[in-house]
Amino acid sequence: MSDEKSVLLNRHLPGELAACLRAGGVDPEGAWLSADTDLNLQGGYEQVFLLALEDRILTAAMPGGEWTSPVRILLRRQDIREVRTRQGVGGGFLEALADGVYVEVLAYSNARADVFHKVARKLQDWLTGQPVRTGPEDDVNPRKCAKCGMALEFKGDVCRRCVDRGAVMARVLRLMRPYTGSAVFLMVLVLAAIGLALVPQWLVKLLIDRVLAPEQAGNAALQPGQATWWLLALVGGLTGVRVLESVVGVIKYRLAALVGSQVSFDMRQRVFNHLTRLAVDYYDRYNVGQLMSRVVTDTEQMRGFVNQLCFGLLAQLFQVVVVGFLLFALSWKLALLALLPAPLVVLAAMFFWRYIYPRYYRVWDANSKLSGTLNTILSGIRVVKAFGQEKREHKRFDGSSGYVRDSFRDVEYTVGTFNPSIGFLFQIGGLIIWFVGGQWVLRDKMGLEAPGQAPFTLGLLMQLLGYLGLFYGPLGHLTQLTNWLTQFLTATQRTFEILDTPPQIVEAPDPVRFRPKGGIVFDNVKFGYHRYEPVVKGISFHVAPGEHIGVVGKSGSGKTTLINLLARFYDVDEGLILIDGVDIRQMGLTDLRAAVGIVLQEPFLFRGTIFSNLTYGRRDATAEQVLAAAKAANAHDFIMRHPLGYDTYIGERGAGLSGGERQRISIARALLYDPRILVFDEATSNVDTESEQLIQEAMVRVTAGRTTIVIAHRLSTLKNSDRIVVIDEGRLVEQGSHEDLMARDGLYAKLVRIQTELSREPSVDALAGGKTREAAE
Amino acid sequence: MTNAPNTPEAHGDPQAPSPDQTQLRYLLPDVCRVHLGSHGALHVTVRDERIYGGVYAAYAFPVAHPDKYVSLIYSAGSGPDVEIGVIRDLDEFPPEQARLVREALGRRYFVHVITAIRHVGWKYGFVAIDVDTNKGPASFLIRWQHDRAVDYGRKGKVLIDVDQNRYLIPDLDQLPSSQKAQFQRYIYW
Repeated sequence: MSDEKSVLLNRHLPGELAACLRAGGVDPEGAWLSADTDLNLQGGYEQVFLLALEDRILTAAMPGGEWTSPVRILLRRQDIREVRTRQGVGGGFLEALADGVYVEVLAYSNARADVFHKVARKLQDWLTGQPVRTGPEDDVNPRKCAKCGMALEFKGDVCRRCVDRGAVMARVLRLMRPYTGSAVFLMVLVLAAIGLALVPQWLVKLLIDRVLAPEQAGNAALQPGQATWWLLALVGGLTGVRVLESVVGVIKYRLAALVGSQVSFDMRQRVFNHLTRLAVDYYDRYNVGQLMSRVVTDTEQMRGFVNQLCFGLLAQLFQVVVVGFLLFALSWKLALLALLPAPLVVLAAMFFWRYIYPRYYRVWDANSKLSGTLNTILSGIRVVKAFGQEKREHKRFDGSSGYVRDSFRDVEYTVGTFNPSIGFLFQIGGLIIWFVGGQWVLRDKMGLEAPGQAPFTLGLLMQLLGYLGLFYGPLGHLTQLTNWLTQFLTATQRTFEILDTPPQIVEAPDPVRFRPKGGIVFDNVKFGYHRYEPVVKGISFHVAPGEHIGVVGKSGSGKTTLINLLARFYDVDEGLILIDGVDIRQMGLTDLRAAVGIVLQEPFLFRGTIFSNLTYGRRDATAEQVLAAAKAANAHDFIMRHPLGYDTYIGERGAGLSGGERQRISIARALLYDPRILVFDEATSNVDTESEQLIQEAMVRVTAGRTTIVIAHRLSTLKNSDRIVVIDEGRLVEQGSHEDLMARDGLYAKLVRIQTELSREPSVDALAGGKTREAAE
Repeated sequence: MTNAPNTPEAHGDPQAPSPDQTQLRYLLPDVCRVHLGSHGALHVTVRDERIYGGVYAAYAFPVAHPDKYVSLIYSAGSGPDVEIGVIRDLDEFPPEQARLVREALGRRYFVHVITAIRHVGWKYGFVAIDVDTNKGPASFLIRWQHDRAVDYGRKGKVLIDVDQNRYLIPDLDQLPSSQKAQFQRYIYW
């Protein structure tokens, strides 16, 4: 084994502190673990070290203030019973159970939480006499970027700091590769459209200098007939250019729509496909709304990119460059003068995007809050009326509505002031050209032009004014370029983040293929959804093939987590789960999921027919198989009461069916899947007594010959179990038959007694049937 | 520092009476004493009941009633934590005892109170914020999401950075208008 040390758990003490400790009889070199925290126990920032020696742990920091010794806390190993972390608000504590009291050994901010979570585990192993070592493997923190150390949102997340933005753009362009031909053609069209936009100004110049005011330009006056032909030709030319512009525009729009929507479609498909491969863990981190936004909105950015390229900022950037070049080519002096206000326009636009545009966020927020308030009030209108709180809700609504009014007014006032001001700035360039260019035209008209200099004609003046409009128009928008680019890259990066998120549940490269018999072993399984809170704390038990196991425990004791781990919705943090002696992480995911059928407390049905829901896991099921499964699950009879039987269309989440009916469909669905292991997770919790009875009958039939795990609050559901496992606070505390556990008079017996008391209260539905609940059972 | 009483600690004794968890109990100075016990841990002695060791304090209404309705809780081994009772008003207690409770609260609530906002901008797709706090200047990144800047009372905000550290602005209206505007440009909700 390597002798390399951990950076985080074998920290070097500053020389001065080490010397102080040595002077006090503590040899820091003898510590097998040394970690530093950023807080002291008074809640202030201070570097405090935790040292674990053979026979004690201590915390140390430089003496000062009320501290005359470097040692802050010292606990002997023999006095400590347990070491744990406790979460505070914004930080946490490492605590030791000494002399029957949890002593706060040190405090840490959340930035150091992972380190001390690890430290607590090491110290706990040290206390229980298990071999402990620290090494480089302890420095690996999947929740921190390995490169820069920044906190990641979840294991395997992409570090936003380290993401290469240039690479993002390169990746976007790579995504466009299948459309290279179309993209090149699009760019040609974009350039052609810009070119065509410049032609009318040139034709106008010809019109003025050749036809309308030829003398001013030094041209010979045209005969009336000739002038008419020139006029016709130039107006015809203008018409032709406009028609051509329209044709190019139509082709450009259609092609952009084709390419943009296809690229977005590809992206959406990739993202969605990848999302379905990600583990349940990922969905705990992000709410469904966020993910929907990524799939629906962020992927649309690809279409936005193509649009910007053709009609938006990127096209405008080309236009500014081309027109700017032309302005200088026609008259560099006048161009320089005309562009004098350009920096002001740019500054004003930057001001707008930085200070005024964000006010629109408040309008969106106000509208969203107003919708939320309205939704809450209207959805809960019965409660509002029942408690006579109409006036209070009027006030609440007025508050939200007033926020919309005020935020909207604020934006409108600001924009109303800003727009006319910026409009004036835009016109300054034109005014300069009119004044200076006008003088030059007059000078030339009076024959005062410098010798050898080309005459400055009225046509040229009009051409320059036309180009100036084409220049200043997009200039204000171009200041958004970085803004748009940031938004685009961020949204695209968010999309790439999904694509780059490695599925946490990965199939073994060479999975073990076999048809399971259904033997299950949980071997010292430890797991937590959040880094600070272990939910399952070392559970071990086995289930023989075909055995029926009941799992009971209080809410939050970790029962459902065990099932989540068995189905590999999550992977264990420590320990093993075996099916027929094979680690489930070595099984093919499809094989594992085929082996484990789960009936959940809240059965989820999809919008569609009852038949399509029943065959969700097995599309090849025949009508006969579906009928048999539904019959076994006590679902057939109620299905047949619907006029369209199995072809009855049910709404979102099974709308139109009662809770018990939905549950029986989900049992039939699981049965049709034909798993070797069947799990019922509180399957009868949310149904009435009659439904419970029907479900229990179904459970007896469908579980025959299968390994069955039944998690239940209602102990009556467990009556067919061969063995009952009792979980409490993430630990297995009892197991045995009902009789064994009752005789033991432990937690199970207590739960049974509580439930017996409760069941003496006759339930309404039982009374309606003229019998007590006990009788019903 | 208050010394531990001479009475034997009863927290390990299963026979010792425990607080009735079905009713809220207010702790008053005449029935309870807050002091430090073994290993400097916070202890609470309730008259005619027992000594509770390894106690921590938590606010019931940290926003609406700071310094009032402070719950004193102790960890009872592997089981769930048990509330000993609630102090209605810390000022009802002798200053030394109130200080111990306030220190315990200070340890539990590790929150930076923002006193000035220096700069708010974008960095790596996060909102980057430079501030002065009661613990000194700080720079941190938060995700631009509603749940990373949550309401604190009617006018305040709690910001939660990428490391889950908390930064509190007790009242936005108390900030200079330029700082408030800068802040609300990004945290507009």
